[in-house]
Amino acid sequence: MALKERPKPFLLPEYCKGCGRCLDACAKDCITLSDQINSMTGLVPVELDLTNCNACGLCMDACPEPYGLRPAHEGEIQDFELEDPAKIFGVRPSEAPEPVDIPSEVMPLPSTEPLVIKGTYASALGALLAGCRHVYGYPITPSTEGAELMAKFLPKLDGTFIQAVSEVATVNMMYGTAGAGLPTMTFTSSPGFSLMLEGVSYMIGAELPGVFVNVMRGGPGLGNIAPEQADIKLACHGLGHGNTRALVLAPSTPQEMLDLTMLAFELTFKYRNPVILLGDGYLGQMTGKVQLPDTMIKPGIPKWAVYGDAMHRRNVITSIFLTESDLEAHNVHLNAKYEAMQVEARAETYLCDDAEVVLIACNTPARTAKGAVQELRHQGIKAGLFRPITLWPFPVEDLKAAIHGAQRLVVVEASAGQLEDEVRLALSKAGVRQFPEIESVRRMGGVLPQQNEIMTRVLGRKEVLA
Amino acid sequence: MSKTSVFYDRFERHSHGEGLKGHATHYCPGCGHGLAHKYLADAIDELGIQDRTVAVSPVGCSVFLYYYFDVGNTQAAHGRAPVVALGHKFANPESVVISYQGDGDLASIGLAETVATAQLGAPITVIFINNAIYGMTGGQMAPTTLMGQTSTTSPAGRNEYNGQPLKMAELIAGLDGPVYVERVALYDAKQRIKAKKAIQKAIKLQVEGRGYSFIEVLAECPTHLKMNPEDTEKWVKECMEPVYPLGVKKDLTVDPWFKRNAPCFKGEKILSLAGATSEHPERFCKGFPTHLALNDISLKLAGSGGDGAQTAAMLIARAAISEGFDATHIPSYGPESRGGTSYADVHVAEDEVLNPGSPDPQVLIAFNAPSLAKFGPTVRKGGFIIYDSSVVTDAPALDPSIKLFPVPFTGIATDLGKAVVKNIVALGALQAATNIFPKDTMLTAIRVALKDKCALIPLNEEAFAWGIKSVEALAK
Repeated sequence: MALKERPKPFLLPEYCKGCGRCLDACAKDCITLSDQINSMTGLVPVELDLTNCNACGLCMDACPEPYGLRPAHEGEIQDFELEDPAKIFGVRPSEAPEPVDIPSEVMPLPSTEPLVIKGTYASALGALLAGCRHVYGYPITPSTEGAELMAKFLPKLDGTFIQAVSEVATVNMMYGTAGAGLPTMTFTSSPGFSLMLEGVSYMIGAELPGVFVNVMRGGPGLGNIAPEQADIKLACHGLGHGNTRALVLAPSTPQEMLDLTMLAFELTFKYRNPVILLGDGYLGQMTGKVQLPDTMIKPGIPKWAVYGDAMHRRNVITSIFLTESDLEAHNVHLNAKYEAMQVEARAETYLCDDAEVVLIACNTPARTAKGAVQELRHQGIKAGLFRPITLWPFPVEDLKAAIHGAQRLVVVEASAGQLEDEVRLALSKAGVRQFPEIESVRRMGGVLPQQNEIMTRVLGRKEVLA
Repeated sequence: MSKTSVFYDRFERHSHGEGLKGHATHYCPGCGHGLAHKYLADAIDELGIQDRTVAVSPVGCSVFLYYYFDVGNTQAAHGRAPVVALGHKFANPESVVISYQGDGDLASIGLAETVATAQLGAPITVIFINNAIYGMTGGQMAPTTLMGQTSTTSPAGRNEYNGQPLKMAELIAGLDGPVYVERVALYDAKQRIKAKKAIQKAIKLQVEGRGYSFIEVLAECPTHLKMNPEDTEKWVKECMEPVYPLGVKKDLTVDPWFKRNAPCFKGEKILSLAGATSEHPERFCKGFPTHLALNDISLKLAGSGGDGAQTAAMLIARAAISEGFDATHIPSYGPESRGGTSYADVHVAEDEVLNPGSPDPQVLIAFNAPSLAKFGPTVRKGGFIIYDSSVVTDAPALDPSIKLFPVPFTGIATDLGKAVVKNIVALGALQAATNIFPKDTMLTAIRVALKDKCALIPLNEEAFAWGIKSVEALAK
């Protein structure tokens, strides 16, 4: 067998940091530390005298720098057998030079009778129909049934459900899947959502899509497992550290748990930004009528996704921008995206055209408030309901129109005024200085406002006004 | 042989590749990271897997792994690299995912993720650089800092109040998930050859779908150990190695097992899982039961866990929706998994349920005395209370307009041979007491619910009939 000629080392002194690892590695004493500081690096590199070199290669193995000691020419030596990965996984999808979007497909779904299911189930079905096959989660009441349904269904769809070690791990598994450009989601509830916020900030920074269904429960701390709406401030203004924003959707029925989950997937990819679905404990647990849509989604792969192939290797998923000007530019870019999201603001108004008393509520309390509006109308009071469907961005243009003729505004909520804060902030930012005094019907600790409490509030002041 | 094709031709991400930064790493002279990078690059190159490799950069000095490797790159939050790697692996099962982490990242802030991922055992490769000190934040104590070793946060030397150094390779090898765990070093040519081989083997095991592998690399940090590179190598050999013995800690022979099919996107399959059907339900109602309420009927079912209150509530909701009405059901439980309180609020509305809670129901079904005592007084005037007279002997005094129906749910169910059908007896009693829907509406809902357990249908029909009979007997 002919001896293969092995390459000897060579070195560009400016790529040597002078660590000296190669000095010991060489048995032939070919390498010495220079006595000259390299003017480009300010470091003292090694010098090579290859007279005695037998091309053992140990100096090159000892050099930590990729462009430090290198072979004078490359050789291929393979002394083992490897299973061809293609035999295990099949051929790679593409080797195209430029990454391009592989678009999602909208596929027809046969029409079916309405289901009678829980809100969390409706949301889970919405996610499946939106093309999500990668779900990670940590059990927490009252959101757990969503994860349970996914754990049951996803293996049958060759999808992935992993119960993570914590919510922190959950959101980072989502980060990994989202980086590959695939739809991913989780179910959680308030304390779990708090834990996920670190990862949400990273996902926003790295511009990754993902859907977070937060079935809000009573807080602070461990609180209880009954419904509250006390994470509005967190979702709208506190998504971890840094300049973070995300679309926040607030369903009010099991049907909307499905519809808005599907919308959330559309929006999360449209903006490459997480979307938060805020439900309350009742919505998660409540069983109701849910009509399935007539189409479903087979997701594609966006061009920014990270894979190892030559086409996608140019992409990188990261939120670190070490140079200040780079990070500022990134924030300017994020701000532009947040600005673009304003068009997604949406709301439902009910009998607001001639309303003198406008109730403002979201989630389950909005249903109750709608009942109160009907009852108030029955009693001859011109009442209406404004229901924000997006809490961020707040649908302030719709609100302005809804309260145009109002003499009274009553915010109905299961929190200490977090929805009212959103209303005030939105009006203030929109430059609306003149609006009626805001009254409130608030419950906390797991109790939702009841229709009779709304009636009492509205009727109680009728005499005062008269 | 050292090769560089897996490294970028130019490190564009390193300060935009300006000047020497285009070809020099950001690591200090004598740092162990550069060598680990090179052996990783060699392994990727020699295994021919560059086009399926995704590297996860951690937080720590190697946060900029993605400056150098021409592979798919994702940068993770501090300590979370292994779960990010898992997230990618399951999204892209044919990928080769490398989680490259330092000691603060892997053994401190990310310990839960590290252990859980190792135990999960899915084939990923973790390269753990242990240099016994925090580098990027400037020389603080690491979980792997040696006893007596000084750092900026153990200035007098690590002592018992700082706890003991964490031996990660042994810890990970003690788990069932991993297939291969080895600790290697970089301090001399012999160790470097072993390190290189170990990294290659760890990745090969992943490529072949055999499982999770973990390589701990004892690495040098001359800057924060405040030594020259040569002395640092000596320190690793003489001080670190006795605490962190080198060698293979675990090496299982496992057949390739990790294989994932492409996810299914067949609509029919999802519909079938969801139990959705295009069959129109049979309808029996002529209109909304306005004899009970104009457009919204409020019910409460209350008992203990196991009484079947939730199932009965669900059947009422399904019956209503099959008739084209709207309905809601909200369960509420005590914290106990079994035997605690179990209440259900049900609404049936002609168009849309607006108040899903039932604080003042028109109909109460009570399965025990505490439930009757608690909710009886909340029932509206003219309402209905149906309760289990087998277990409730004395009904509380209530508004005289309320119609009371004592029915022995438990007694009847026991006589039928199955105590669990007492909730169906209760539904029969509800039927006879309120005539909320035609009898066939509820019976159809019961039959549909039992379509996978057909053998139980006759028993349930009988229980339902007995509930009706009991109420009719009361009227006589």
